[in-house]
Amino acid sequence: MANNERVFITGVGVVSSVGMGRAAFFDAIRTGKNGISPVTSFDATPLGRSYAGEVKDFRAADHLTAAEARRMGRCSAMSLAAARMAIVDSGIDEALLRGPRTAVVIGTTMGEADVIADLDHAWIAGGAEAVSRTLLPKYGSTLLPIHIARAYGVQGMTMTLPGACAAGNYAIGLGADIIRAGRADVVIAGSVELLQQLEFSGFVRLAAMAVSRCQPFDLNRQGLILGEGSGVVILESEAHAVRRHATAQAEVGGYGLSCDAYHITRPHPEATGSIAAMADAIRRSGLTPADVDFVNAHGTGTRANDQAEAKVMNEIFGSRRVPISSMKSTLGHCMGAASAIEAIGCVMTIETGIYPPTMGYETPDPECDLNVVANAPATGPHGVLLNNSLAFGGYNAVACFAKPGVLPHPREVAASLGARS
Amino acid sequence: MTPRSITGLGICSTIGTGREAFFRALADAPALAGAELKPVLSFDASKYSEAAVAEVADFDPARWLGDKGLRSLDRLTKLLVVAARLCAHDAGLKRDGAFVVGSPEQTGLVCSNAYGSLEAITELDRVAVLEDARYINPAKFPNTVANSASGYVSIWEDLRALNVAISNGNCGALDAVACADIYMASHRAETILVGGAEALSEALFLAFQRVGMLESGARVGEGAAIVALEDRERARARGARVWAEVVGCGAAFDAAEGEGAGVFHASKEAMARAIHEALADADVAASEVDLVISGVAGLRAFDAFELAGIARALGKGTPVCAPKRLLGETFGAGGAMGMAVAAAYLGGLPPREIVQGLPPSRVATVVVTAMGYYGNASAVVMRKSPD
Repeated sequence: MANNERVFITGVGVVSSVGMGRAAFFDAIRTGKNGISPVTSFDATPLGRSYAGEVKDFRAADHLTAAEARRMGRCSAMSLAAARMAIVDSGIDEALLRGPRTAVVIGTTMGEADVIADLDHAWIAGGAEAVSRTLLPKYGSTLLPIHIARAYGVQGMTMTLPGACAAGNYAIGLGADIIRAGRADVVIAGSVELLQQLEFSGFVRLAAMAVSRCQPFDLNRQGLILGEGSGVVILESEAHAVRRHATAQAEVGGYGLSCDAYHITRPHPEATGSIAAMADAIRRSGLTPADVDFVNAHGTGTRANDQAEAKVMNEIFGSRRVPISSMKSTLGHCMGAASAIEAIGCVMTIETGIYPPTMGYETPDPECDLNVVANAPATGPHGVLLNNSLAFGGYNAVACFAKPGVLPHPREVAASLGARS
Repeated sequence: MTPRSITGLGICSTIGTGREAFFRALADAPALAGAELKPVLSFDASKYSEAAVAEVADFDPARWLGDKGLRSLDRLTKLLVVAARLCAHDAGLKRDGAFVVGSPEQTGLVCSNAYGSLEAITELDRVAVLEDARYINPAKFPNTVANSASGYVSIWEDLRALNVAISNGNCGALDAVACADIYMASHRAETILVGGAEALSEALFLAFQRVGMLESGARVGEGAAIVALEDRERARARGARVWAEVVGCGAAFDAAEGEGAGVFHASKEAMARAIHEALADADVAASEVDLVISGVAGLRAFDAFELAGIARALGKGTPVCAPKRLLGETFGAGGAMGMAVAAAYLGGLPPREIVQGLPPSRVATVVVTAMGYYGNASAVVMRKSPD
């Protein structure tokens, strides 16, 4: 039965190119530490692009048991590591995660892309008999939440949402909905992506990639820089969090979903779907645009994305110049992982009041007339934040995060949504 | 859950494309079951002994979509777009391609697929390895992305409410129903097209052959099945034809025991729990269930556990049928195919392919089940429409 409880983030875990875990990640994004560097996991130089937000310090053995590491590919390992950090950060007794009242929802774009590449390459080189029977079971995005559920005795729903670059918002949003619908008390939610050669090559061929710098909203921006990593949060119902005296780091508000139904890779030039998603996130949080303090931009650094996003901001906020910033200038575009990692950045802002900077912002673009937090951190009101994502396939997902207790109660919001429809 | 009406079905399957052809083929099931294996068309199967597959052999996307704009689409996308188009028209939401009920902004998609477009990934990998990554066709690269087929459905069918892709293996299409229920309960769309798709490719066949999953008679299948879900009151108010109602859903997971155990795990406990949860969600007693549409597919390592889980939840006498004996294992589409079969039986067709219990004398309440390969299981409860 739907109970429409408040849903809190009580723990965060991050695997990123600028640091592992809450403290390192928060330190890095508030100072604009650069995580973009030459790619080392494959030879990218023939493609004419060789920079990415590659996670160079991740070793599965640092986070996983030997048996866990043997069972899974790098993508699963990163998401399990992030989940483990989030669980520790939440201070939850692991016994409370066991059983059917916990669920796991993980988003991604490509999942275990390394595994399928290795299988394919073996098949091409040696034929069917060369395809490894021990590697095959590691393939499949379905496994991402399964590995986490297994590690903690979770017995509720396990969901993988391949929501492309909006996957993190999709996963956190659905996770919060699962709790509000009364189907779980705790949801381990987040997303993950790894840097992989075929994906990298594809983005080069789409002419979407910059050479070495990602400069969101800058007049001379050249495109995106790919990244990788994982962000996972612990979502708890208010009753569950209160019962165990957990610290609520942030509240998950409403979120908006829409589809452009326009083009598979390009955003709608008028950003109609994205505008609808942001308006819906605000409405579903029981707020008006005037209540929003800061927007974490999707901010990929491509011409089309940033222009579309500027249209969204101007349409929603009018002449009110709400501060906006893009972590992709330092992390790269972590694809499926992006919006979950950046949601954790929103938690940092809610806790500290610091807006992470958009690095490399040198020349304002008249087409992106925005209040960009440029090149240095800023401080300001931090009660209500929006996390924007526009994804491949025309997917738009915008999530609201807020200081605990600031938002109207979800029961009131649900009643007003029901009354409107 | 709030009961939701199924007002339309769109199906591309090995036994027929379109609801009418699908229902007709189900009625002729005894003849189909005895038919000889057809040659494989999707890939060169000559190097595999006994390549038993269940292809959508007569699939002609141009018949349904016209012949423009198809060149860069992969098979998975074509199957899914056709199923969605057929569903929207079957539900009366569209006529001749245009919305006549509801609007693009109030129509969404929640769609399952288990393995992505292996066809696209392997094709581009071959270009990258055997030629040069710089020659990858940028028009085909989008097909490698896991939500590509779902995204194309919105483009082709102009669905602008939520578009959600799910990758939960064999359970995905039933889990899509659980998600759609949550999204509809929070008023995100008036109608959601819910279902799943999977496309046959050599890579998919090879993977299952290599891990020994085809040794006990399972056939790797393909297809797409989509149902249109609406609130009962809305369907009633617009006088829609209702094929069945979805009244409950459940999902459960049960981990493999022991650190050293591999990832494959069949859990009768999870199966039983998913059914219990779905029945509780529907407020339906186990004794009311007339028939189970199972995911039993000829996989020895999983079928027995699914049947045991069903028996644990519903008793050993409850009739269980296995439509995958006709349809093949369609993975991400499997649960939606099961729901389409359930709609046919709830509509009066006599159930076939009974693998446990006796054929029921009446079918008013059905449980559709799906069992994943990793200890996950899902169930959906469907009933005859009260109208």
